[in-house]
Amino acid sequence: MAGATGGHAAIIQDWSSDITVFKGVPWGKAMMWIFLLSDTFIFTCFLTGYMTVRMTTAQPWPSPSDVFALEAFGYPVPLLLIAIMTMILITSSGTMAMAVNMGYQKRKKEAIILILVTAAFGASFVGMQVFEWSKLILEEGIRPWENSMGAPQFGAVFFMVTGFHGLHVSAGVVYLLFIAWLIHKGRYDNTNFEIIEILGLYWHFVDLVWVFIFAFFYLW
Amino acid sequence: MAQAEIPYQEDMALHHPHSWVTKYWFSQDHKVIAVQYGITAMSVGLVALVLSWIMRMQIGFPGAFDWITPELYYQSITMHGMIMVIYLLTAFLLGSFGNYLVPLMLGARDMVFPFVNMISYHVYFLSVIILMASYVVPGGPTGAGWTLYPPQAILTGTPGADWGILTMLLSLAVFIVAFTMGGLNYITTILQARTRGMTLMRMPLSIWGILMATVLGLLAFPALFVSAVMMILDQLIGTSFFMPSVVSLGQHLDYSGGSPLLFQHLFWFFGHPEVYIVALPAFGVVSDLLSVHSRKNIFGYRMMVWAIVAIGVLSFVVWAHHMYVSGMHPYFGFFFATTTLVIAVPTAIKVYNWTITLWRANIRLTVPMLFAIAFVITFVVGGLTGLFLGNVIVDVPLSDTYFVVAHFHMVMGVAPILVIFGAIYHWYPKITGRMLNDTLGQWHFWVTFIGTYVIYYPMHYLGFVGVPRRYYENEIGGASAFYPESAALLNETITIAALIVGAFQFMFVYNLVVSYFRGKPAGDNPWGATSLEWRTPQTPPIHGNWGDKLPTVHRWAYDFSVPGAKEDFIPQDVPHDDDHGANRT
Amino acid sequence: MALAIILLIVIIGSVAFNWLSPWWFTDIASNWGNIDTTVFITFWVCGIVFVLVGLFMTYCVWKFRHKEGSRADYEPENSRLEWWLTAVTTIGVVAMLAPGLVVWDDYVNVPPDAQEFEVLAKQWTWAFRFPGEDGKLGTADTTNISMDNPFGMNMDDPNGADDVLVPAPRVHLPIDQPVKVWLRSIDVLHDFFVPEFRAKMDAVPGMVTYFWFEPTKAGEYEILCAELCGVGHFSMRGHVQIDTQEDFDAWLDAQPTWAEMQAGITPKSYSALAMRGREVAETNGCFACHTLDGSVVVGPTWQGLWGSRRTMTDGSQVVVDGPYIDESVRNPADKVVEGFAPVMIPYDLPDEDMQALIEYLREETGAEDPMSADSGEAAAPADAVALNESGASNQG
Repeated sequence: MAGATGGHAAIIQDWSSDITVFKGVPWGKAMMWIFLLSDTFIFTCFLTGYMTVRMTTAQPWPSPSDVFALEAFGYPVPLLLIAIMTMILITSSGTMAMAVNMGYQKRKKEAIILILVTAAFGASFVGMQVFEWSKLILEEGIRPWENSMGAPQFGAVFFMVTGFHGLHVSAGVVYLLFIAWLIHKGRYDNTNFEIIEILGLYWHFVDLVWVFIFAFFYLW
Repeated sequence: MAQAEIPYQEDMALHHPHSWVTKYWFSQDHKVIAVQYGITAMSVGLVALVLSWIMRMQIGFPGAFDWITPELYYQSITMHGMIMVIYLLTAFLLGSFGNYLVPLMLGARDMVFPFVNMISYHVYFLSVIILMASYVVPGGPTGAGWTLYPPQAILTGTPGADWGILTMLLSLAVFIVAFTMGGLNYITTILQARTRGMTLMRMPLSIWGILMATVLGLLAFPALFVSAVMMILDQLIGTSFFMPSVVSLGQHLDYSGGSPLLFQHLFWFFGHPEVYIVALPAFGVVSDLLSVHSRKNIFGYRMMVWAIVAIGVLSFVVWAHHMYVSGMHPYFGFFFATTTLVIAVPTAIKVYNWTITLWRANIRLTVPMLFAIAFVITFVVGGLTGLFLGNVIVDVPLSDTYFVVAHFHMVMGVAPILVIFGAIYHWYPKITGRMLNDTLGQWHFWVTFIGTYVIYYPMHYLGFVGVPRRYYENEIGGASAFYPESAALLNETITIAALIVGAFQFMFVYNLVVSYFRGKPAGDNPWGATSLEWRTPQTPPIHGNWGDKLPTVHRWAYDFSVPGAKEDFIPQDVPHDDDHGANRT
Repeated sequence: MALAIILLIVIIGSVAFNWLSPWWFTDIASNWGNIDTTVFITFWVCGIVFVLVGLFMTYCVWKFRHKEGSRADYEPENSRLEWWLTAVTTIGVVAMLAPGLVVWDDYVNVPPDAQEFEVLAKQWTWAFRFPGEDGKLGTADTTNISMDNPFGMNMDDPNGADDVLVPAPRVHLPIDQPVKVWLRSIDVLHDFFVPEFRAKMDAVPGMVTYFWFEPTKAGEYEILCAELCGVGHFSMRGHVQIDTQEDFDAWLDAQPTWAEMQAGITPKSYSALAMRGREVAETNGCFACHTLDGSVVVGPTWQGLWGSRRTMTDGSQVVVDGPYIDESVRNPADKVVEGFAPVMIPYDLPDEDMQALIEYLREETGAEDPMSADSGEAAAPADAVALNESGASNQG
């Protein structure tokens, strides 16, 4: 055991032993982790780009609490929609985690239902995003190349980054449905259903990215 | 929770081909995919070769070929550069060698996800098609230089600014998707699917090089992907990520507030690791070639592994050494010069270890060995000139001159290509079961090695004189101080050498084709090598590689000339109590 | 065996080439001798490593080549040797890096007595601006650029009025006086590079960059653009003349200030069609490369264009008339004026615009009175014949 002897020599020993580096980790899971690491770099680059143009642009940056305010009961409530969207996505992470748990307990039916619930949350998130976009484009006249409230880069980075994230969520919904269908067909009956955990990794990652986008776009 | 079962290559389900199409086109066999990558990369490489002729003809004999317009010249340098760096070198070293060697050298049946691997090739093929489509879209391919710096890349003063740049960026984005699919496979296979006894520190250095290069690729290509997306948006719908207010050829454009430097940072955050994406597999492969053909273990294996890892990690903190005179904050120069020169240390160690491997060896000057030795000397020149350009103040007079052109061609053009050649001569017998023609191989080597040296060594001196790169014509209105008459003569010489060297590459292709049908049968292990790919039950290996049982590894890949052993090599899967009469302790 | 000999030839040849070849740095004409010193240090360290590694390898290839019955040694590693080599390499690296960083520190810190001037880069020519008597450059912005305001001077900034503007790519600088160069670009990346000065820096649109140097040798030097800036990159040259302080002052006094330039702009009257043609020329950016005052930036000047005879790169001669202008706009590469590079991009103008442009050029640059427009069209060919016979040419 590495823990017993301790020290970096033991860690290296463990890592470099034959067949696998990560003991007990299925190929798919290892692959998903590596993919997510790579994807992290994509979002990091997008956010770096966003911060750079926010600094270089010559015009003032619009105030997010004005842009993203929503009329409720006759009052403009800042960030109302975004708060709901964020809640939905965080909740979907919860249902996803439950699905993983059900999978390992081999409770196939519950797992499928929870995956479908997760997909439904995801789809509603995308739906709200469509609503938000249409509001920004149609009502507030924000375009990727210009807007009336200041820096044209505001629209450009907002649509690009949330769009790219939205694509991830949409792809995730398709992925969830596809896997749910495969589980239903019995494709994974002879396994431990670690496929659900792999699915979960992706879904949690997409949620985590949203937290960063939320912080950078709406709170800054 | 029950421990998930360890998937093991032994039980892997393989999709055996049922028709010609699934055997040779939509094949899931890593060896077929490797050859597909290789043939595609080589074909597109020949296009790049012809493009280099066009530019050399213009530089060597300005005015002699009036069909070479400035547009064609700039389009040619751009396409040459991008094809060589991405579509040839990256695709060949990782797509082709990575695919072929990883499962075989690790004792695996195939990549962990053969289907994804197959898709990877076809997406790569698509990216090549999109790239080549540049030649049929209105305006032709982009002429922005392979660095594609905005604002220039998308303004009318540059050829292909409306369509060519879009096909280029789209092709790059598609290539990155292909690379990601392949790369995930290589890493997962190397980390999680080795055979029994194959510890990380028993892997041949080729695999270490491929592993680290793939890690770099997966972390560096995102930056290129993001910058491609942003530039497509700038060009297509008029966002201003990279575009400040500009007056392009007298016209005010609707851009404002973007940052051209942001693109350069993103591009080089990809671009510098890219150098090592190309170099590290070459380092690994050449280590193996040197060891096998000098019948001696690679010197300082552990140091070599750590050097690969160190170079890989450091390569992420040196990118702005491409931007010393870009107008970024000058104080960055101190940091990036220091990190850049630090990288020289592990790199130098690798060079020392290659040469020390030759000490008291038993060197067989086979064609692969010739290429390997030529690589070392070429790489020494290219690496040392890198110390000029990495040291911030020394870079100031030399940046954007022919010194840079000579440097990067030596270090990441000629050097890896020499390794690719050497590797093809080395593994061709395993891939096809036949040897390549030796006489043609010797000719190919001598002309390529001496020719490229004649091309690139003197080119450094043009840089000292101050000849800027990417000039369609140097003499406008009489000779200039930076371009004396003698420099024109030198350029003529270089052009002639380039034409000859280029022509001999077609002879190499001829050799590849003819030897496939008429080459001497190779046998299972013509070089007396120790690594697992030479231990397959069949040559060429069949789908699944290993028959019923995977090999078990008992030793590192470098047991050459072990004292007391009967033969001068002991393959990795030979147990210790059976190693030809002598145990190694 | 052959390989060992060739390797030896490569090493000896490389060293010999270095000493025997005529190609080396041009004679330095600035204070940056220090840069040359750092290059020499790097050169020596690297040269020695190259020769040692090369010779060692050559020796090994020759000495340890395969012979009947020979067998290699078995030596997996040798930690002492490896650490020793690492240490020596580190020392070599430090020996190159330390002086380099010291000189870089000089490079990025401009001496306080440096005089400022601005380089304005655009496709594919240079322009310059000196602060006037107040010693301050007025602010400027790309968005202000127009035909009458090629530098994009900020009208509200009083500091700009006495700025001296040099629109042509030819500039003078005083000897032995440190200068801080502000770099601005209005379109794409450029790089101000004079090989004799060693120093260079990019000009980036949307930013102002700088570097400094001190000319130490009188003479005329060529300015090159060292950052790919489009199809005319290679033709983006200029000249810098290093003068004594007195000559420089005299030269500077002869250049117009921004205030004088503004006063000198007088509106001219044209026919309605020509007015439209002028708009066509402006919106298509013709004036970025073609001047009306006789100075040459990228393309030939339009001064005295109409009816003049011009020599092409292939030696043929052309009299400038409507069809020639039409052809030159639509297919600029077909006929290129001698002394110019074929860098103009084709403009496929609608026929009405083309007619207007031709009329504008006839009125603006023709020799005769622009008001007698009706006879002009017919007169031009007759003129051309006459010019042909007399052999006169406006194009040098």
